[in-house]
Amino acid sequence: MISNFITMNGYGFYVWLSFSVVFISCVVVYFKTKKTLKKYEKEFLVELQTLTLEEKNKALKNSKVAQQILAISPKVN
Amino acid sequence: MFKFFSSTNIYLLIQKLIRFINSIFFLILLIGLTFALVLSPPDYLQGDAVRIMYVHVPSAWIGLACFSTITFLSIFNFIFKIKNFYFINKSIAPIGLLFTCLAIVTGSLWGQPTWGTWWAWDARLTSMVVLMLFYVFYILTFKLLKKEESIIKVSSIIAIIGSINLPIIKYSVEWWTTLHQPASIKITGSNSIHPEMMLPLMVMLLVFLLYAALIFLMKYKTEIIRIKKKNIKRN
Repeated sequence: MISNFITMNGYGFYVWLSFSVVFISCVVVYFKTKKTLKKYEKEFLVELQTLTLEEKNKALKNSKVAQQILAISPKVN
Repeated sequence: MFKFFSSTNIYLLIQKLIRFINSIFFLILLIGLTFALVLSPPDYLQGDAVRIMYVHVPSAWIGLACFSTITFLSIFNFIFKIKNFYFINKSIAPIGLLFTCLAIVTGSLWGQPTWGTWWAWDARLTSMVVLMLFYVFYILTFKLLKKEESIIKVSSIIAIIGSINLPIIKYSVEWWTTLHQPASIKITGSNSIHPEMMLPLMVMLLVFLLYAALIFLMKYKTEIIRIKKKNIKRN
């Protein structure tokens, strides 16, 4: 039964290759998208650091997005 | 009402949605794969090769759905100048390209054991390649053009011209003699697919839709951060 599952009655190569291509492509795109998102979050925080204390407080007060990004990145004050 | 659609509220909603999709995704993926690879019966003609359908068909549907969405939003953006649609389209296009490519590759892998060839320049296959090319041109406008106004204009034109290809893809199997089989699932009329195969197909479609939604939300979130970064000193 396990052997039949692996060989797919002679179609194993095509079935497993199709599922593998889809799986690998989706995993690669997921991690690439996540990496880009993290990069932009980091750049946003660096930009926030370049502001004066007054500008920074104002930006944080007015932008919930800035607060959220700062909240999930505790390393940067 | 319109305040709800502010980028801040959308950003907060996106975070909740990403968390929700992450929490259910692997369970649904596991159910989908069990159905597709174990529980679903082999076809009486194609044998186990029919299982490729569970990745090929959802990929093709999502590839087509993404381009249809891009076309509608481009038309609305052209008329009403809603900038959010531009960012939505920018986030959807790579997902559409990914699934169109996957539909072509898995279709080729399905073609070899069933038709005896990896590729044929028949109407359905060729029109899918044309769709892929439109996606490539569409994405290239974001990479090559600098001015946002030019990007919106050129990308909208590409989307509107490309939309002519959508009914060609859909009806290619009826208008021309092709290797590709006609549609088994019809919104109006009876389906020629057995319920034991229909259920795994629908579960796998849900898996693919959740994945597409997850990538879209992450890309859209990136766009919001990019805009906020640009405007940070103006706040």
